Amino acid sequence: MIQQLQKLYEAFCGRLKSLSTQADILNLKAEYLGKKGEVSEVLKSLKDATPEERKSIGPVAQEIKDKILSDIQNALTALELKQINDSLARERLDITWRDAIKAEGNPTGGHHPRWLIQKEIEDIFLSMGFEVLDGPHIEDDFHNFEALNIPGDHPARDMQDTFWFSDYNPKTGQGHLLRTHTSTIQVRGMLNRKPPFRFIAPGLVFRCERTDASHEMVFTQLEGMMVGEDVSVAHLIYFMKTILKEIFKKEVEVRLRPGFFPFVEPGFELDIRCLICAGKGCSVCKQTGWVELLPCGMVHPNVLKAGGIDADKYNGFAFGLGLDRLVMMRYGIDDIRHLQSADLRFNQQFKTY
Amino acid sequence: MKLSLNWIQDFVQLPNLSPKELATRFTLGTAEVEEVIEEGLFWRSLRVAEVLSVNKHPEADKLNLVTFSLGDEQRQVVCGASNVRVGLKTVFAPTGVTLPIGLTLEPKKIRGVLSEGMLCSEEELALANESEGIIELPADAPVGQAMNEYWQKSSDIILDVDNKSLTHRPDLWGHLGLAREFAALFERPLNIPYSAEWMNKMQGLQNTEKSPMTIHMKGDSAGIGYFGLSVDGVQVTNSPNWMQERLTAVGLRPINSIVDISNYVMLELGIPLHIFDREKIQGDQVVIHELTEESSFRTLDEVERTLVPGDTVIADQRGPLVLAGIMGGLESGVSEATTKIFIEVANWKASRVRQTSTRLGLRTDSSQRYEKTLDSQLLERTLWRTLELVLKFNPNAKVVGRLEYDGVDLSNSKGLELQLNVDKARRTLGLSESQLSNQHIQTILERLDFRCSPEGHNLKVAVPSYRATKDIECEADLVEELGRVVGYDHVLPQAPSLPIAPTRLSLTQELHRKLRDFMVLHGEALEVMTYPLVGKKLLERALWPELDQLVLNNALSQDHNQMRPSLIPSLIEAVSKNAKHFDECTFFELGRRYLPSTKSFSEEENHLALVSYHHKKTPFLRVLNKAERLLRASNIPYDLALLNLAEGQPKERHSLVDWSWPGLHPYEVTSVRVMGKHQGLVFSLHPLVMRQFKIKGHVSVFLLNLAPIEARPLKDKTKYQPLAKFPGSFFDCTVVTDQTTAVQSILDALKPLKNMKELQRTQVVDVFLLNDSEKAVTLRTEFLDQEKTLSGEFLTAAQNQLVETLRVAGFPLKA
Repeated sequence: MIQQLQKLYEAFCGRLKSLSTQADILNLKAEYLGKKGEVSEVLKSLKDATPEERKSIGPVAQEIKDKILSDIQNALTALELKQINDSLARERLDITWRDAIKAEGNPTGGHHPRWLIQKEIEDIFLSMGFEVLDGPHIEDDFHNFEALNIPGDHPARDMQDTFWFSDYNPKTGQGHLLRTHTSTIQVRGMLNRKPPFRFIAPGLVFRCERTDASHEMVFTQLEGMMVGEDVSVAHLIYFMKTILKEIFKKEVEVRLRPGFFPFVEPGFELDIRCLICAGKGCSVCKQTGWVELLPCGMVHPNVLKAGGIDADKYNGFAFGLGLDRLVMMRYGIDDIRHLQSADLRFNQQFKTY
Repeated sequence: MKLSLNWIQDFVQLPNLSPKELATRFTLGTAEVEEVIEEGLFWRSLRVAEVLSVNKHPEADKLNLVTFSLGDEQRQVVCGASNVRVGLKTVFAPTGVTLPIGLTLEPKKIRGVLSEGMLCSEEELALANESEGIIELPADAPVGQAMNEYWQKSSDIILDVDNKSLTHRPDLWGHLGLAREFAALFERPLNIPYSAEWMNKMQGLQNTEKSPMTIHMKGDSAGIGYFGLSVDGVQVTNSPNWMQERLTAVGLRPINSIVDISNYVMLELGIPLHIFDREKIQGDQVVIHELTEESSFRTLDEVERTLVPGDTVIADQRGPLVLAGIMGGLESGVSEATTKIFIEVANWKASRVRQTSTRLGLRTDSSQRYEKTLDSQLLERTLWRTLELVLKFNPNAKVVGRLEYDGVDLSNSKGLELQLNVDKARRTLGLSESQLSNQHIQTILERLDFRCSPEGHNLKVAVPSYRATKDIECEADLVEELGRVVGYDHVLPQAPSLPIAPTRLSLTQELHRKLRDFMVLHGEALEVMTYPLVGKKLLERALWPELDQLVLNNALSQDHNQMRPSLIPSLIEAVSKNAKHFDECTFFELGRRYLPSTKSFSEEENHLALVSYHHKKTPFLRVLNKAERLLRASNIPYDLALLNLAEGQPKERHSLVDWSWPGLHPYEVTSVRVMGKHQGLVFSLHPLVMRQFKIKGHVSVFLLNLAPIEARPLKDKTKYQPLAKFPGSFFDCTVVTDQTTAVQSILDALKPLKNMKELQRTQVVDVFLLNDSEKAVTLRTEFLDQEKTLSGEFLTAAQNQLVETLRVAGFPLKA
């Protein structure tokens, strides 16, 4: 009987293999396990068997019944999966047909590289307690020159090629102009605050200058100022080193040397150890190992006074940073004029935010 | 400005450092050295050679193998000169030397034979423009001697200092002043030969004869003080080699002994001067005065220049001789025939010299110095030094009369005295007392010619007159002197102790950041920045009504000569440029527009503009949807005003455009009202303006005036609604309407039902055309009651009411 059962199972397996539809499989199931199915018949015949026979055949019969059941189930599941996958194959998507390779309907967005750098630097200063200010582009000679210790006949006015508006009077040097530096915001910042305070002021500045690959008549600067009691050159160096480390993501060696700017005294040029050659000397640093990066200094007492601050009690430092130069350094941009060209072949290269 | 270290060494013994080290110290302590030039150093490597043998080159007919002696050794070179012969003494340049013609000799094989250098021609040593054969030295030339010794050629190191870093230092425009800096930086004594005794000796050369030339300075002129001295018996020749070499080394061309002296003294003492041929001056007086009428003047450089009223000249009876402080005239200059001279050493008002020189575009060594504000106290010394050199070169020349002067009284000028709080100075620099002691402070200042006397905690500091003209005026200026001489590299970075307080961006900055991020992430737009300066041509092309507002006086080009009254024209131009490369594009700008104002000259507003271009289909709805989403996400309170400009313009003005601007599409236009006012606009560009810019396709724009939004905090008015506990019910119905009906108006037709609280919302599911004139619109309405499940009776009644309302409004159900 056991042999009969084994044979029966083998025959079942053989038949199951050849079936490929759900109906055929269900029919096969009925043929074996249905009321009149072959296995059922065998089981039924058990009641005529001796108790010993029952004891030995029973479990085997049950086992074969279970096996058939699970084989059927597995076959059905496999069949269903195949059917689903077949239909997926029919509806198969070309997953390489991405926006990125489309000529049309390829939406893209990205910040202007200038803003990427400005935001990064704003955030570094914010984290160190500096406010972020801005002011008008159209200024008067007081905010751009007078209050910054650059009186009418000062040679420094020659250094600044200023765009003047029609109310300019060359005799008095008065009139409206496009700000030549963000230092104008220093003046406004001081007039609106009481020490101690510290702020930065990024923004557009304007110079009456012929444009070429490295010169623009409109460009961005970032001005910074800190005023309080006993502010020192040591503090200035600390902040400059810190900010440069954050910008360049590595320790940057700096040096200060005398530089003349009417609104600071002492005034400095801050050089950084050349990042290209690490100070060995290359074409970028003109073989000196140092690259001039930013002007800075201790705020001139006359400037503090013009800003309504008691210059005997308070002092401060100020610095200016050419943002566009950093942008060009960061991305290796070869022509500053691209920044304001609105040529999307340029802009679309900047996809980050 | 170029400075010669040989010249500096007239006044101070420099330490034994390399040129680069000297330059670095000067850069860190005084002013930036842009370049270190080693002048004539090659002479030291060149040596006298005697030819020992001449043999034909094995592989070249015209070349010889020449063996020669340098005394202690023999060398061989390949030489092509025809005059090479045994016994000839000539000049040998070994490999490694850079010759003045720029050639650096490298060891190389010439047709297989190694050449160890070169026998030089005059041409190769820049001694002649062309030469035949190699140099032939006299037979007694000592073999092996270095050429700098044999020919007594000097070498020098020239530092080229950035002029900009000297703008505030009139005292550094001469070698004596520069030497003082080296003396202070390297703590060396400064030797000034021009002592009081020397001055006495020079003054003693005046005599009682009547001065052949006197001076009259008119009060309105740019003159401050004017010294003049007449000298007879001068012979104009070439100046001696040493003077020519120094002048050449710092970039001046030697001319003749008298002109060279005037240049030399200027470069030594920093004060410009002028020497006249006295016989070319008409009359016996020079008059310094301001011109009252326009006149023409031929300057030394042989250019005819137009002088205007206000320019100061030195004139004789005939007219101008010299343009004060800038340049002499061609007529009165010294020539080879000159024997009688008049030496002028004067001081002029800096701003006046600057005005004239800027106007004429004539910046000379002289004007460059005067515009820095020079010290009148130095004039007399300069004149005596000039005389000293004139007499040195012309031992037979003699002074005629006395030193003449006109101008302000120089004898009673009160010097500037400042108080220096030494503790404060150290605190400001961030230096400790051990780094900068009181004694050190005093030493530094005294080396720089300041005179110090202690006064309590302070130091009373007398400023030398030549530093007080503009440069040093307050305590901070003294702090700088200390800092730079000590060296800022001694200052260690230190974080300040400050109270902790929250720092936030301003509301405006927060808003700008949000808008930018939205535009990039959701607007799928590229950020651009365009010039705030535009030209009239662009505005006209855009048919923009506001022209020639806020025009610049001195624009560089007509394309950028006025402030933009709107972002629109620049952005249309950007579309026209980009349409050449892209079938579609979307970009935004957050920038300012500028308007004239009677109150404050000008007003600036921040505007946001999103621009979308598509070559085939209008991007209007896409832009409108982005705009609405942005307004909602930024919590900007707004409502949309649908417009139909074909039917007329709204009465209220728009803050961004003139309604009559022809660039507005008659139908694709929607105004955004913020707090009841038209502050934003979504529109497509009218084909008329598109044509102006040769743009084919469609351009839609969203423009938003940020000014009214920036100032106020934008509140997040989101209010949470508990989720419904009871199921709602959806009801779809399809109505028929005219093809031209706006779908919004169908929804608006349901306004009468706004009091039915169970009616949650009605939205449009689908729109499809029925025929040429009609379309079907499927609406979906949700009914919901927060308190209970809606009954069938209620729903039937509500649905009927809805359908009836639509029907009454002219939107019957589709059959």
